[in-house]
Amino acid sequence: MTDGKKVGSVMIVGGGVAGIQAALDLADSGFYVYLVEKAGAIGGTMVQLDKTFPTNDCSMCIIAPKLVECGRHLNIHLLTLCEVTGIIGVAGDFAVTLRQSPRYVDMNKCIACGVCTDNCPKKIDNDYNAGIGKRRAIYLRYPQAVPLKYQIDPAACIRLQKPGACGFCEKVCDAGAINFTDVEKIHRINVGAVILAPGFEVFDPRPSEMWGYGSNVNIITSLQLERYLSTSGPTEGHLKRPLDGKPVRKMAFLQCVGSRDENLCGNGYCSSVCCMSAIKEAVLAKEHVPGLQTSIFYMDMRTHGKGFDQYLEQARREAGVRFVRCRMGGVETDEESGDLRLRYVNENGRQIEDFFDLVVLAVGMQTPKQVLDLARVADIRLTADNFAATSDFAPVKTSREGIFTCGAIAGPKDIPQSVVEGSAAAAAVAELLAPARGEMTILPTFSEERDISGEEVRIGIFICHCGTNIAGVVDVKDLAEYSVTLPDVVHVERKLFSCSQDSQESIIQLIGEHRLNRIVIAACTPRTHEPLFRETLKVAGLNECLLEMANIRNQNSWVHGNNPVGATNKAKDLVRMAVAKVTFGEASHATTMPVVQKGLVIGGGVAGMTAALNLAQQGFTVHLVERTDTLGGNALNLKYTWSGEHVRTQVAKLIDRVICNERIIIHKEWTVTEVTGFVGNFHSTLTSKNGETKVIEYGAGIVAIGGQAAVPSEYNYGSITGVVTSVQFDKLHEFKEKHVKLAKRFVFIQCVGSREEGHMYCSKVCCTHAVQSAITLKKENPDRNVYILYRDMRTYAQRESLYKEARKLGIIFINYEMHGKPRVTGRGAEIEVEVWDHVLHQPLLIVADMVILAVAIRPREDAEKIGKLYKVPVDGHGFFHEAHAKLRPVDFSTEGMFVAGLAHYPKPVEESVAQALAASARAATILAKPEVQLDTIKAIVDEEFCDGCALCIDVCPYHAITLLEQTAVAGEAPKKLVRINVAQCKGCGICQGTCPKRGIYVAGFTIKQVLAQLQAALAG
Amino acid sequence: MMYEFKVNQFAEEFGVHRNTIRNWINSGILIAKEGPGRKYLMKFEDYRLLCEKFGREPSLHPENNAASQTITTVPRSDRPPLVVSGEKSRLAEDPSWADACLTCGTCAGLCPISGVDGLDPRKIVRMAVLGLDEQLVASDWPWKCTMCGKCEEACPVGIEFVALIRKIRGARKRAEVPGPIHRGVTMCLERGNNLGIPKDDFVFLCEDLGEELNAGDCPGFKTPIDVHGARVLVTVNSKIPYGEPDKLKWWWKIFFHAGESWTIPSENWDGVNWGLFSGDDEAMKTVVGRIVDNMRRLNCKVLLLPECGHAYFATRLGLNKWYPEALKEFRIVTIFDLLLEYIESGRIRLDTTKHRMPITYHDSCNYGRKSLKAFGQAYSDEARKIIRACTDNYRDMNPYGSGYCCGAGGGTWAMPFAEERVFYGRIKARQISESGAKMVIVPCHNCRDQIFKSLNREYDLNIEVKYIWELVADSLMEDRT
Repeated sequence: MTDGKKVGSVMIVGGGVAGIQAALDLADSGFYVYLVEKAGAIGGTMVQLDKTFPTNDCSMCIIAPKLVECGRHLNIHLLTLCEVTGIIGVAGDFAVTLRQSPRYVDMNKCIACGVCTDNCPKKIDNDYNAGIGKRRAIYLRYPQAVPLKYQIDPAACIRLQKPGACGFCEKVCDAGAINFTDVEKIHRINVGAVILAPGFEVFDPRPSEMWGYGSNVNIITSLQLERYLSTSGPTEGHLKRPLDGKPVRKMAFLQCVGSRDENLCGNGYCSSVCCMSAIKEAVLAKEHVPGLQTSIFYMDMRTHGKGFDQYLEQARREAGVRFVRCRMGGVETDEESGDLRLRYVNENGRQIEDFFDLVVLAVGMQTPKQVLDLARVADIRLTADNFAATSDFAPVKTSREGIFTCGAIAGPKDIPQSVVEGSAAAAAVAELLAPARGEMTILPTFSEERDISGEEVRIGIFICHCGTNIAGVVDVKDLAEYSVTLPDVVHVERKLFSCSQDSQESIIQLIGEHRLNRIVIAACTPRTHEPLFRETLKVAGLNECLLEMANIRNQNSWVHGNNPVGATNKAKDLVRMAVAKVTFGEASHATTMPVVQKGLVIGGGVAGMTAALNLAQQGFTVHLVERTDTLGGNALNLKYTWSGEHVRTQVAKLIDRVICNERIIIHKEWTVTEVTGFVGNFHSTLTSKNGETKVIEYGAGIVAIGGQAAVPSEYNYGSITGVVTSVQFDKLHEFKEKHVKLAKRFVFIQCVGSREEGHMYCSKVCCTHAVQSAITLKKENPDRNVYILYRDMRTYAQRESLYKEARKLGIIFINYEMHGKPRVTGRGAEIEVEVWDHVLHQPLLIVADMVILAVAIRPREDAEKIGKLYKVPVDGHGFFHEAHAKLRPVDFSTEGMFVAGLAHYPKPVEESVAQALAASARAATILAKPEVQLDTIKAIVDEEFCDGCALCIDVCPYHAITLLEQTAVAGEAPKKLVRINVAQCKGCGICQGTCPKRGIYVAGFTIKQVLAQLQAALAG
Repeated sequence: MMYEFKVNQFAEEFGVHRNTIRNWINSGILIAKEGPGRKYLMKFEDYRLLCEKFGREPSLHPENNAASQTITTVPRSDRPPLVVSGEKSRLAEDPSWADACLTCGTCAGLCPISGVDGLDPRKIVRMAVLGLDEQLVASDWPWKCTMCGKCEEACPVGIEFVALIRKIRGARKRAEVPGPIHRGVTMCLERGNNLGIPKDDFVFLCEDLGEELNAGDCPGFKTPIDVHGARVLVTVNSKIPYGEPDKLKWWWKIFFHAGESWTIPSENWDGVNWGLFSGDDEAMKTVVGRIVDNMRRLNCKVLLLPECGHAYFATRLGLNKWYPEALKEFRIVTIFDLLLEYIESGRIRLDTTKHRMPITYHDSCNYGRKSLKAFGQAYSDEARKIIRACTDNYRDMNPYGSGYCCGAGGGTWAMPFAEERVFYGRIKARQISESGAKMVIVPCHNCRDQIFKSLNREYDLNIEVKYIWELVADSLMEDRT
């Protein structure tokens, strides 16, 4: 790297969820971002999905706020219809050339009214709906598109293909936005770093005729099913046979189409996400169509992520999804009925012929051609499977310095992992460009706040359809008509998606137009969407507290889907209550507090050290607290990562860099024992093993306390010496212990303590680990017999190549799931393992010298204690619970605290590292700012009524209230009062409930407001 | 418990025709007594055994009527465990023959005789993985398998099933090879053709037939036996001169109309190569070698690869494998190449009005799927082009693309497993019947016999079956160009 000056801006290529996350993290921590998208709108694949696993959140609903945030972030510059044609220069100072295709619509003039589309005569296949149905030549990619600007598809446009023809859109566009003479533009942009996040394409099953795809429209891809299930999709969420509109009664999902198949498509790797998405789709389809039978045909059920196995079990037991362990070799059509014929072997090995109404091909992920071109332009190395090559210890760094990746370009992965990588890439960029932080960014300016204190109450109500999420159940027209009749309401309007960018703009405009001074949004939950609408109010010059949300979706339409009349009435109640409450709303301003620009990392393993090092190199001082006297954690037990990198060499390097970094203060043999404070201003007491204590201050913290191996209680572990755990075996093997050296017959037993009652989760690393150990044993001596007894081989993503190598070496894999656990008995020096063969359906007896148990990963026992200190929850298994499984995978619900590594869930090294970097990026968004804005919902003392009785002090769980004795005024007794520490107050309201004199209240929840709300509730 | 059934209900359950069920009852495979109301009664145990034989999931269980498909955990039985020795299979020569198997079940789902004898392609491969060579060689399943390669085509890891099956067949003691397969090989090696037809008889027959043609449709025709320097060398399938010699005339008429320079060797003229079926490489090599010798002896430029799927496949494979140098000396053409050459160059003219009934085509596995894999070319489109030149009423079977074996491939037409062969053919029968065709065109003798002589009767198909060259010969416009 040159010592030249670094540029404080970043280019992110690809506006999917990974790129969006990277953009937001970087823009929020002092860097200017160019977000480059090849389509006309950002959003990527996630905006095409219906719901997302494992939480069944509406995909569009959870990504829309991020889209809007990207669209209006001052430090994010969106460049759509662009592709990268050249990257020259070095890390810190690149010149990127972009070719921008013409949009033929002037973005400054287009008001997205949609008249052009209505008048466009040309229809072509709708690519947003995965080829189902039609769209026009002038179109929006999807209704909530960001930027919300129309575009013309030049290949389809009649006018552009034949000058002089058509041109209707131009005639009807009042804004004069159509520009048929628009031309390609070339941009040359100077940036310090580049993040490649171009995503993937789904495998096209058409060329391989055996899937029947293309010959019968009742055979669809998983992406098409997402569109059929989606309320914004071509059938508004109604699932019928595309061929004849007949009801769907039986549906089959065929897994591994275009994945784990070297014969028909050459994609030998596993696409990692299709098992979970098929289960989710099956569960959702059953909700859509009562009585629907769903069968999933699979090879190995790869539900290795957090919460996935529980989801699988629920699908199997509660939803009644049928799982058949048999891959399908093709789909045939019964010509008479149009039904789809499948032949498979059942669990008894019997061949069954069965008919289905709909067959869903779980199409795999692959790197599209234009991404291969991009990789060439960027001059980065690819793996054999055509994904970006990265190191397991630097999972977002490409082979070219200064160019990073996130998302599916570096291997198939799901949304949480893509989001993690988005943040991780941001962290890696921030490390590189730390000296240039803040040099290119623009500071926000809001319009001046309108003083409404003298105004009469003028309420505006916006009722969201949420596609059909709400409008499909609640009679929104009726609701709107009712809402107009409520007192002080001056304007009511319905919105298809009130969270879309155009809706925000329209709300802002209407606030001005009607001089609105109280706003009710009848939509979803404030938990996810309130920040967005508050921002909108601010832009409109209205105090952000003059907002009330009526949750007519999560608490109404979603739960009363079978009772539309009742739901409509309840929506009216909720709106009436919100109106009553907001009527007494008052402007209130957030307090800002200075941020302690230092970090804390708890845990000195790979995740902890990675996070600490990254924060330090971003320029922040970091406290690294390690319980033991050694850095390194569980990685010290590992030899190689799945891709063959030597773990201990890398860990030793990491330890050196951590020790040598002046900004990292290492506290070995200390633990965190007390925590006070809040985001930006934490104080912790550390206690040493000798009982000494010290206090540290920091603005944000990362919990990376790791996990530990379970101790097996089965397979005669402990009583037969040859039965060992995988961790023990690695040690014995490494030290060439005689027993291992002489042994000829090895049996690995998987899932020991994982995926069973009480521990219904996958330990994620054991399949790969066992396969690697087995390969080593076999390579050392090909005469050895090695058996792996498993339930599902979860060598996900590119790890599949290891599984294949193992089989080719003659390692025998036996699935014990169908017939129950193997039996292990000692016979002198030998061990007998009895297991049923899943193919021959008969018992096998293997005489072994060693049996190696793949023991589960458990959380550390002190996890709960740390959880209590920071008020962060652990899940049923004892792993830390992130704020949102999908979109906030490293955040805690407690602001300013983050999680990484095994403490969150079992995971391999590269995922721990990515998560650590992500946590670091998220922490940096706090630490990079000199001050933090606090929530406006805080307790306020009414000095008129408070008499200082101090009852509230005892009940405050945050120790935020103190007693204050004022100096006596002559002739009067000294007045007593309580005072609130706004930084510590969480606005929980216990004080307000306790106070007998109405001397304390919480802003936004005054007695007046709550009473009005209650009266309104009872008035129904 | 007794199982009461009607014939058509039973036929539906087993996916076969009611004729087949009646045949089973008559031959005693299905042990049932006639009851009142056209119903039959059989013991549940016999029903279970029959299901076992054909690998069907019993639709009834004595305990309850629930379909057993809902079982997720299969109960253990008291069977004594099979001791896995760890010894490697000597039959699976390469990891891609067995070890690479994912046990995904694709093959077993596709194979038309999965479950017969309790075996299927996946189990065969699994037995090889576990080194159970003796059981594999002793089993009759590999001889009931038609080596159609349907499994191989779809296998995600490219397991070489056909090679493995052939190796298993080859490992059996020759005296224990089922049916006349090995006898045919021995006869061919000793006497030059599978049926042991003496040279003089063959030459006499050919000349006699030539005379008939000369006197009839093809004035001036003379059978070209051993003509040195003829352009094309033609082989003969031995069962034609033996059983139905008139059928030789189809090709001869085509050659006559095309004005072809061709010849038949007087010795070693058989195109049949049963070494492919019995797993006998040496025999296969010898038989292919004789064709090479004839080409050299008669100095021909073009070898018409033998008609009939297996004969074409064995000869082409043998040439590639053992006689690569010979391929530099002469050109090889398939029956499709030659017929298309005649049609497209206008050397023969065809009349599409002679075949007005709906016609479909059956792809021989050896000419189609297996040829594509081994030689990079399937002759599906070529065959259809030829047929469309002969008729205006062509329709494909469903699915088109990768069809199903007729059920008689791999030598099973000659083997003593008739019930399995008929059972195997049920899918082909359904395809034919669904196509609505009244005539099926085939490029292979085994396929023809299975479809015409067996499936046609068993499944009441009511169809004609013609060889593709027969169709062309019958469509020739009389005026010679």
